[in-house]
Amino acid sequence: MTMERREFLKLAGLVAAGATFSACTPAYRIIADSLESPAKWLEGDTRAFRILNRLTYGPTLAERQLAAVIGVQAWIEEQLDPASLPDPRGDLSVRPLTSLTLDAADLAAWERDDVVAELKRGALLRRVYSHRQLHETLVEFWTDHFNISVEKGACWYLKTVDDRQVIRRHALGNFRDLLWASAHSPAMLVYLDNQANDRRAPNENYARELLELHTLGVDGGYAQADVMEMARCLTGWTVKDRFWRGQFAFQSGMHDEGAKKVLGALIEPAGQAEAESVIERLAVHPATALHLAHKLTRRFLDPSLDRVPELERRAAAAFQASGGEIEAMLRVILLDGVAADPDPTPKFKRPINFVTSGLRMLQTTTNGGRPVQDHLNHMGQPLFEWPTPDGPPDEMASWQGGLFARWEFAYDLARNEMEGTELSLKELLKAAQAETLEDAFDALGNLLLGAPLPEPARTEVLRRIGKVPEHDGPALLLAGLLASPAFQWH
Amino acid sequence: MNSAADCEACRWVVPAATAGGPAWMPRLAFHPANRGPRGDVLLVVFLRGAADSLNMVVPHGEDAYYRIRPSLAIPRPNDRRAGAALRSLDLDGFFGLHPALAPLLPAYHAGHLAVVHACGAPDESRSHFQAMELMERGLTNLHGPASGWISRHLASLDTGNYSPLRAVALGERVQRSLRGVVPASALQSITDYHLGGDPQATARLQAALATLYAGNDPLSEVGRETLAVLETLAGLGADRYDSLLEAHYPDSDFGMGLRQVAALVQAEVGLEAAAIDLGGWDTHFGQGSSEGLMAGLLADLAQGLAALHADLINRIDDLTVVVMSEFGRRAAENASLGTDHGHGGSLFVLGGGTEGGKVHAQWPGMEPGQLFGPGDLAVTIDYRDVLAEICLRRLNNEALGAIFPDYSPVLRGIVRPRA
Repeated sequence: MTMERREFLKLAGLVAAGATFSACTPAYRIIADSLESPAKWLEGDTRAFRILNRLTYGPTLAERQLAAVIGVQAWIEEQLDPASLPDPRGDLSVRPLTSLTLDAADLAAWERDDVVAELKRGALLRRVYSHRQLHETLVEFWTDHFNISVEKGACWYLKTVDDRQVIRRHALGNFRDLLWASAHSPAMLVYLDNQANDRRAPNENYARELLELHTLGVDGGYAQADVMEMARCLTGWTVKDRFWRGQFAFQSGMHDEGAKKVLGALIEPAGQAEAESVIERLAVHPATALHLAHKLTRRFLDPSLDRVPELERRAAAAFQASGGEIEAMLRVILLDGVAADPDPTPKFKRPINFVTSGLRMLQTTTNGGRPVQDHLNHMGQPLFEWPTPDGPPDEMASWQGGLFARWEFAYDLARNEMEGTELSLKELLKAAQAETLEDAFDALGNLLLGAPLPEPARTEVLRRIGKVPEHDGPALLLAGLLASPAFQWH
Repeated sequence: MNSAADCEACRWVVPAATAGGPAWMPRLAFHPANRGPRGDVLLVVFLRGAADSLNMVVPHGEDAYYRIRPSLAIPRPNDRRAGAALRSLDLDGFFGLHPALAPLLPAYHAGHLAVVHACGAPDESRSHFQAMELMERGLTNLHGPASGWISRHLASLDTGNYSPLRAVALGERVQRSLRGVVPASALQSITDYHLGGDPQATARLQAALATLYAGNDPLSEVGRETLAVLETLAGLGADRYDSLLEAHYPDSDFGMGLRQVAALVQAEVGLEAAAIDLGGWDTHFGQGSSEGLMAGLLADLAQGLAALHADLINRIDDLTVVVMSEFGRRAAENASLGTDHGHGGSLFVLGGGTEGGKVHAQWPGMEPGQLFGPGDLAVTIDYRDVLAEICLRRLNNEALGAIFPDYSPVLRGIVRPRA
């Protein structure tokens, strides 16, 4: 499919729209995605669009142009090295959220609702505004993998620290470091009750999920006895509640001093080092590599594809050969899996991807506040509030029944009905030089779906919406596109 | 056997012409079903997190229970050292209800409520997620069909009822038990289930959505379903369900969900199966005893079910409610005044066709030699024995092989055939 020069120019205009807002525009919106040549993606490379759509929270025109200029492979390489990518918009968007930089003791003095609200807003804003899209995607992946709900005990303020020191710090680093940090994270110890794990009658909760969810997987070769012995190793791993409140503590008085046996290996009494030695083994265990490869591959690829099992094995092998580098696993999945696919099969968007893609692709100004978060709650994916340690599911069947909640968001966003979120539809359409309703519909189709809606649906939708008063037409068409089946996939 | 109702077994197919979206969207093929009259409305309540059935339905005749739960045990019905409000409520001289379940006593004594104890699944993973997945799919091992057991029941019985509200999931997401080829809608509130804004504009948007969701892809079917639900609920009229929602449901998400179920039943909009979750049962820490954390959950459960029972008493012979959980908890308490993952649990059946007013159990005992694995209640009745009997006798579905493909159920006499 080739695009005519007229459309080409309209789309180029859309890029500029982001930089033309009025004086009340927040600072971070003025830092434009300035890229010189909007040229090549306009040739209608829907394959590149589909790949970027999968790897971002909704590709912006700037990202589409960049990938068109340097190629999708090179775009992925850049994303794999987030430190090399300047990210002023991402950084500026969360700068007002001061709680995100505080330590546990300071956070504990805040109002609970404020801490939780800033944590949620921070995650959403970074996903919408950061250039480091792959990093944010991995942050989300590990947030789910090491799920912690802020509803549990002191997690309402401990999770902010965990988010910064555990998840964000190690999201693209070495898995051993990530696992180590998570195991010593007060938020995790509280969430899975290990702070109450006492030698007199161990609490198995964290020990089990460490083996089942965080490392080996439910079929990873451990037994109930291993869970019980690991729980003994972890007795005394707890959290300070007075001085140095919210810091990790090993309480030797709670620790079971006897010898243990986990996964066939005898563990001599060594206090805190007992569980740490098992954690080191778990991090490099072949079952862990397979379990992680299985999950991470499914995050990026439709699991029904024939080549997924083979890709998983290779991703696991690369991970092991690298000594547990997350990037090594990602390279196989993204470069050999996603980017090498001649005809990428889409994945169903989870609610968070649906919401961020609407906000992002339409160049919306949002503070990520309550109205947007409420929509996510209605869709069943409240941020940082998933109650169970498995994290929100990553399969279509879990989410497709909640279509109505997505339609509500689509309608609210298109009509600018969310406080704290501003969609400048007129500016967008002006930049696209859309003069007629048809022009507007096609420009929005290009923006959201990579191409105008195909016929006969295009004409039929225009006909059904067309008779409304002029000024409502584009908003209704936009609502239709956001609510359409095609926009639910990426 | 499994393909007829197994969504994930259907391969995506890409047709030449696309209706409502780009060519790269997945397409789905569909399957036929068998015919029969419809039976009861089925409501499945899932207690997420492994509810401690030993404190829900207390084996107060069991000395070991009091020995290994020194802090958590619910006092015997005649234990004068405990306040009357803290004692278990005797059912049959051996079992008693947790005092917070007192609202269920009228249904129990009316013969509408049965307890099945030492009941559960063969899975020994003690993993919430594996256990729930297997149980909601009705399977012994994960290699069976990906669809849920309720979905396979619906898919294997064409009752001539094509209502978009035939299967409803209460809450934000569709439970695994309801997933499959028969689309189920997630419903949070009947009264909020409409798009706001100018009615004319909204009507145009919905007309456009009907076009966009006209395709032969998995999502389009859900979209058409959603539009049909919107239309059906709009046709109910808001004033009408206000009057239907007067029973005394607890002011909780669970109570709210049960109210929606009752309203849909009363409104006769074709509801055949509904699923609702109640979470928070993973009580490793600070579980409480007659009072406390778990008692609060039990109160919500019991008040909700009692309100539903009262609200639908005129239709009680056409209703079967099942309350289940993925497994029970460790027989002995842990040092954090909680309980760890166990094995055998219990299951409640509520409805006019229930052999109620009794506890159905082959009690395995709780002495050291009688406990299972690391110290858990053994399973002597498979949960599928109960569900299969409900499918057969209450839902008019004989296709048990399609619903529970890797298990041969044993009928236990827990429900009666429909009159």
